[in-house]
Amino acid sequence: MSNPSEIAEIHPLPRTTGTTFAGDPEAARPLVAILGNPNSGKSTLFNRLTGLRQKVGNYAGVTVEKKTGLVTLPSGRRVDLLDLPGTYSLHPGSPDEMIVRDVLFGLNHDTPSPDLVVFVVDATQLDRHLFLALQIIQIGRPVVLALNMIDAAEAQGIAIDELALERRLGVPVVSISATKGIGVGSLRRIMDRDVEPSTVAFRARPPQVERVLDHLAERLPRRGLLSDAGRRDLAIALLLDDGEDDAIARYAPHEVQDDLKILRRRLDEIYPEWRMDEATGVYEAVEDVMKLAVSRQSEARPDLLRERIDRVLTHRIFGPILFVLLMGAIFQSVFEWASPVMDLIDGGIGWLGGIVGGALPDGPLRSLLVDGVIAGVGATVIFVPQIAILFLFLSIMEGTGYMARAAFLMDRIMGRVGLSGRAFIPLLSSFACAIPGIMATRTIDNRRDRITTIMIAPFMSCSARLPVYALLIGAFVPKIWVGFLTLPGLVLFSMYLLGILTAVLVAWALKRTALRGGKPLYVMELPPYRMPSWRSVFLTVRERSWLFLRKAGTMILAVSVVLWFLASYPGPGPEGRALETKIERAEAAGQTSRVHALTAELQGLTLRNSFAGRAGRFLEPVIEPLGFDWRIGIALITSFAAREVMVSTMATVYNLGDDDDGFHSLRDKLRTTTDPKTGERAYSPLTAVSLMVFFVLACQCMSTVAIVRRETNTWRWPLLMIGMMNGIAWLASFAVWQGGRLLGLG
Amino acid sequence: MRVVSVPMIRTLEEMEPGETGSIVWVVGADGSVRRLLDLGLVPGTPIRFVRRAPLGCPLEVVVRGTHLSLRRTEARRIHVESL
Repeated sequence: MSNPSEIAEIHPLPRTTGTTFAGDPEAARPLVAILGNPNSGKSTLFNRLTGLRQKVGNYAGVTVEKKTGLVTLPSGRRVDLLDLPGTYSLHPGSPDEMIVRDVLFGLNHDTPSPDLVVFVVDATQLDRHLFLALQIIQIGRPVVLALNMIDAAEAQGIAIDELALERRLGVPVVSISATKGIGVGSLRRIMDRDVEPSTVAFRARPPQVERVLDHLAERLPRRGLLSDAGRRDLAIALLLDDGEDDAIARYAPHEVQDDLKILRRRLDEIYPEWRMDEATGVYEAVEDVMKLAVSRQSEARPDLLRERIDRVLTHRIFGPILFVLLMGAIFQSVFEWASPVMDLIDGGIGWLGGIVGGALPDGPLRSLLVDGVIAGVGATVIFVPQIAILFLFLSIMEGTGYMARAAFLMDRIMGRVGLSGRAFIPLLSSFACAIPGIMATRTIDNRRDRITTIMIAPFMSCSARLPVYALLIGAFVPKIWVGFLTLPGLVLFSMYLLGILTAVLVAWALKRTALRGGKPLYVMELPPYRMPSWRSVFLTVRERSWLFLRKAGTMILAVSVVLWFLASYPGPGPEGRALETKIERAEAAGQTSRVHALTAELQGLTLRNSFAGRAGRFLEPVIEPLGFDWRIGIALITSFAAREVMVSTMATVYNLGDDDDGFHSLRDKLRTTTDPKTGERAYSPLTAVSLMVFFVLACQCMSTVAIVRRETNTWRWPLLMIGMMNGIAWLASFAVWQGGRLLGLG
Repeated sequence: MRVVSVPMIRTLEEMEPGETGSIVWVVGADGSVRRLLDLGLVPGTPIRFVRRAPLGCPLEVVVRGTHLSLRRTEARRIHVESL
């Protein structure tokens, strides 16, 4: 692959002139990047400009999402619009911010430096947003400054002199309101123009620092479109970056890296405040700009609405109460509202399977389509209602500003586990299903916290485990009153609790081992309350559902076809053929109930004789110490499609049909099964507890694995998850079974 | 004789909700608090302590018109002069 910045060297002026790069039609369109602080309304503007023509991918090798869209400008020219992650500074504190810096300095492998930057600022908080704007303008790339939320600024009595601002900054300035669409036409016209980089110098650094920067800038390899000013900014960015940033290692030559360390130490000796003065210096320059271009027609009014709402929502007593009620409502919705739609999908899939099954002759093709492909598609689509409902709530909460308050309320509690308040909602959602829960971790900006949250989310007992708990508790736990609770209720509660406690321990352990390092600052902006942009809410829900279907769905489909194969082949053998003739004879004689019984027997035989069935027996020595036999072994394999499949697999193993009747007879069957060797009962209440503990802790859900792969953009974490969760599950069930037997409970 | 001592410089953590001050210094400017500086918590900036979260941590402050949530360990690093 050719490096984009090298191409740029051959064509020094590719920006607004529409120069085409030979052989690469994708590169023919100029690239415009939207950039700004978090909460500047950047994404609303992006949605406004691109509409539905959006594409979501990932930056190579990192979890950061890359959003691009296509925009047609008034002249008919088309440009690619890139929505860079919201960032506070050029000195990265997160992978998101690292991407922004790398893209702007032309250090990113797969994203060229943009031909134009549309910098979005919140006009009501101009001084803080100009901090980054000045640094970006200084790099020497063409910039347009968009003063967003201009209507809110006017309402607050803030008057901004656009012309003065343009003159002082040396870039075009346009006032807009992305939510209402004001000024977006003017912005598009400016994007159509040949925008020149600013030539204004905003500030001078102390001579010691200047000398160091000159020296460093000289030594950096010359490449890309970076101006001399930009090279000095790259130098200061590298100098300030004493974190764990591997971009430097990748792009700066070795001798420069050694230099960096020495220069940093020298500066610390002769001028200890240089780091703080870097920030102070920019803010001084911002104040100069503010004095020149901004006037307040009235005294700054405190946001009374905000004060009033916050007084209730973060109140010592009402705040937590309202939070719990809201969470309850969300949880209930994801859990309950989704179920009629899910039933509908389930029914639809069954109906489709029936149609296809009826149209095709009995044989491997029909089985593949009905039990493999259609079932696999169903296993994917079934999650969409939950994902859509959860993201509807999440994007409304994010859009109104409540999400930050929720994190504010929960930070102390989550801090005990080494996480931030933002981890609470994804974990809560995981009680309904880990898939939307893991997708919701996107709101956690710290990478380590996010991965920790993803890794512990599957320990929350999801709704797919309930049928398994229900079967086993129903079969083995007698209804005895213990205080004001019944024993079945108590056991069920313990299973949920076990998951939570294990999650806490695993989070604690991960934060001290694989995800150790760095002391992140938990500084978070509490944005003003706003009406959410419904357009953005709709786009988020649509985008999340679609991404899941496309990215995770393909893997889920593939795995379910493989599982179908394992459970159907090599077929029932000679014994099966004898059964088939019996079925035909019974059919001819019109003995319906006998046909049913024989068909169930044939299904059971097929499964027991299949690769999955053999694997179940093969697995027996491994799971025997946990109190499980080969039948449970088969169910553990097939339940990788979805945990609740365990129930229907057990029913098939026992030659029972998998309808409601089957559920009850399965319960009785589990109670009465005997071990052929000893003649004793094969399963005891202790087996049930051991099996439930296994289901609480084991990673048995291919959809979870698929979504972790998609969200972390690597196989490392999903594989670690499988190993870790199944290891813990094995040990815990081993402890339950062996410990229980020692106590004489088996 | 009673000595009334009025501490001029305190850490943000020692302030009471509703109080206003001016930032004097941020301890640990070795890169670990760069985020605080980038957010505008540089010396000379006015800062208002709005409230504590129900469990006592984090704290809500206003700097340059922006409301921020800080943990107590972070607030301890910010030295503030009462106005």
